[in-house]
Amino acid sequence: MKKNALQKVLALAMVGAMAMGTLAGCGSTQEAAPADTSAATTTESATSTDTTAAETTAEAAADEVAGMEGWEPFAETVTLKVPVYDRGAEGVPDVSNNYWTKWIQENFGDKYNINVEYVGITRSDVLTDYALLAAADDLPTILMEYDFPKQAKWVTDGYLTTFDMNEFAKVAPTYYARMEELGLLKYSELNGETYFCLAERPYSDTNYTFVTFYRTDWAEQVGYDSYPATWADQKDMLLKIKEAGLSEYPLGGSMVSGAGVDQNYAYREFPFDEEDWAVYGDYNVVALGNPANKKLIQRENEKYNLGLIDPEYYTIDAETAKSNFVNGKSFQWSGYISGSMDFLTGFYENNPDGKLAVAVSQNVVDKDGGTTPAFRANNPFGMMVSFSSSATEDEIKAAWMYMEWLSQEENLFTFQWGIEGENYTMGENGLPVATADYDGEYKQGFNNSKDYWCIVVEARNAGTIEDIIHANTPHDLPQEFEEDIVKNYYAQVEIAEAGYAVHDCMFAVDIEAVGEYSATLAEKYTVYRDNLTMCDPAEFDALYDQYAQEYADAGYAEIAEERLEAYQNGMTSKLQ
Amino acid sequence: MAKNKQSTSPAPVTKRRSVASGFKRDWQLYLMLLFPLAMVFIFNYASYPGLRMIFYNYKPAKGWDGSKFVGMDIILKVFADKDFRNALISSLVFNFMDLLVGFPMPIILALMLNELRYPRFKKVTQTILYLPHFLSWVIIGSVAYTMFRPTSGLVNIALQNMGLIDQGIPFLTEKFHWAVTYLLIGVWQGMGWGTIIYLAAITGISGELYEAAMIDGANRWQRMRHITLPGIKSTVVTLLIMNLGRIMGSNYERLDSFYNSQVRDFQYQLAVYIYEKGLAGAKFSEATVVGLFQSIVGLILVIAADRFAKKLGEDGLL
Repeated sequence: MKKNALQKVLALAMVGAMAMGTLAGCGSTQEAAPADTSAATTTESATSTDTTAAETTAEAAADEVAGMEGWEPFAETVTLKVPVYDRGAEGVPDVSNNYWTKWIQENFGDKYNINVEYVGITRSDVLTDYALLAAADDLPTILMEYDFPKQAKWVTDGYLTTFDMNEFAKVAPTYYARMEELGLLKYSELNGETYFCLAERPYSDTNYTFVTFYRTDWAEQVGYDSYPATWADQKDMLLKIKEAGLSEYPLGGSMVSGAGVDQNYAYREFPFDEEDWAVYGDYNVVALGNPANKKLIQRENEKYNLGLIDPEYYTIDAETAKSNFVNGKSFQWSGYISGSMDFLTGFYENNPDGKLAVAVSQNVVDKDGGTTPAFRANNPFGMMVSFSSSATEDEIKAAWMYMEWLSQEENLFTFQWGIEGENYTMGENGLPVATADYDGEYKQGFNNSKDYWCIVVEARNAGTIEDIIHANTPHDLPQEFEEDIVKNYYAQVEIAEAGYAVHDCMFAVDIEAVGEYSATLAEKYTVYRDNLTMCDPAEFDALYDQYAQEYADAGYAEIAEERLEAYQNGMTSKLQ
Repeated sequence: MAKNKQSTSPAPVTKRRSVASGFKRDWQLYLMLLFPLAMVFIFNYASYPGLRMIFYNYKPAKGWDGSKFVGMDIILKVFADKDFRNALISSLVFNFMDLLVGFPMPIILALMLNELRYPRFKKVTQTILYLPHFLSWVIIGSVAYTMFRPTSGLVNIALQNMGLIDQGIPFLTEKFHWAVTYLLIGVWQGMGWGTIIYLAAITGISGELYEAAMIDGANRWQRMRHITLPGIKSTVVTLLIMNLGRIMGSNYERLDSFYNSQVRDFQYQLAVYIYEKGLAGAKFSEATVVGLFQSIVGLILVIAADRFAKKLGEDGLL
């Protein structure tokens, strides 16, 4: 009897566990958000009415005192879902649950009765992640992306709600004032409706945070005391390195994937034709068939056939390619600067006698090599911030409060720098100095938690550019790079002033063909590009023409056509 | 026939009683069954109304009311798409090859395992054979690339060091070599796990048959051929019919793990098509059209195979 009773109890427990599991899977966001249990006016979805959620909030907030002083905690807990890039990087805390997410909850969320949840978004596959969240009716309250075309597609797909910027200014006056001061408000609209808030991007005309490190010990061994400015010299140096047996494939190489590959700015003819720039100048969809792209791939073909690139590069991922540099197999590697750079630390551990330097940008037009020093200037704004069409008015208001709270100097500083004495120390000049390789309880996310505070600003601010670079450069390595990085910044400023910092064209309407074809074109491009890189140089021209035609037929021609129409209708930015 | 009917006429009452008493006795077990059944219902049947997506340009954030009704447009668009046709052909060819190569292997392996004498050795062997089933395709793909790269892969290095080859074999970087490697790795991954059902079927064969055959002088091969194989024939037919239903399916995780740009012609199968055109492009209607097409063809194949099996005198599945 006892055994039988035990069996019954266990069976019932199992049933209970399964029931709980099943019910847990059946919950919906709307039901889960306690805010939905509040008054009917606040639970109405933004999409269910012509009046947007934000506009409804505006009415409710009309009499409130502007800014944080006017905020009151929500009567019912509001769930605010904030996206954060999950870059799959090693050695960083879980993006949705770490000390800093709890810090936000304790210091901001609890104070206003907001439950702040972070939603990981795969950095290399942003559109798919958001598409799946939309399909599950689980879009985060805030949607963030750097690329305008992605945001435009979300507008077309109905992910985003419009809002009244004046009401935003009442809830988040600091954030609004920054946008106004920097002249970013003009980018907040699409199709004549307000959809976006824009984060600040200091020094947007340069890419000083992304730096190439190269082996000076190898370069010196073959007779070069700095990074060559022309392709002829680069080729000579790399071939000598190969011949000397220092590296089998000096340029290493990894598979081509994702958006933004093969940026061809340096291969373009200056001055630009504005129409050509508007139609083919974008970097999100590679312009296969454009002369600049052809020259770029032809150069890759040359490198491949000279044996400078690993013949198996198309099977090597970026992490393996980085390891190859760290292990002393390749000549150079590029990465973002920060107080702690794992590939530099690893490099010196594995190559104690190795010497590195920063490849400082050079304002040189290489006529024989067919390149200019041109590069893609960043957008004048950082993150584009928009709001989910399925969010309630309270949720959107909570999102605005979050943006405003993070805009406060002391909050932003703590989020960017961490805890004094742990993540940083205060230098003699009153500016913070990051603790190298900090690995304690307060460890920040990737790149000093930038993927969180990028909703306000794109880089840590700490005085002059020299101070900023000082604070974002490692100082515990056998070599110092601060001076070179500063030099690189000023070199890029000089190049930008010479007119070679290229801004991409922006469209005031959604180019629907981009959403329709970009994923397929990106996949096809990888195949065509690799085949062209590895083909016999004698066959290159014919093969390129064949692929350009196939690429155009697969949707690129439609994209170009739609962009041209937008350009001719005056729905684009102008060449600066 | 009439006699049979008469003799079995009280059976329903008994059956009803036995079902009722069975339920009373094991009600906890039936309660436990309720949830798996609910899951099957929710995910396999309750989603049917969503199939109308094929007639809409469906945007999840806009809902049904906000999405545009487009009639047959999406369906025609998918079937006119050259990429879809390529993906369809690749899927069919590879799944057929998978069936051809992969289906007999668990049977052969089960027969071999059944012949092993030492129980401990048999158990260890079985466990080792099951292990690959528990490895994710991402890990298998990563290990495969480490082993089979043309110049830096361990297998090619070993073969070159032994003087067997001058140049590395492009196991995963040339599409025909890739096809063979892909299929064989698939067989390796699944064959151990696939033996379970056959081994269970083999244990159901009466030991007396083997004893009688041994007395009559049948050797191992003869016993296997004339007792074991016929004993598991109905299981083989059932599994073959079920596998035919999957001939239109494809496994994205497996395909993605073995991707590189040089083999896209073969790697571009329906799962990749659905992911690329459906999910990455947020075009759920296109993905649904392809998914529905796969299911319908799978269903037709299962029914046809079942009929065929019945005509050959087998029990069939349905």
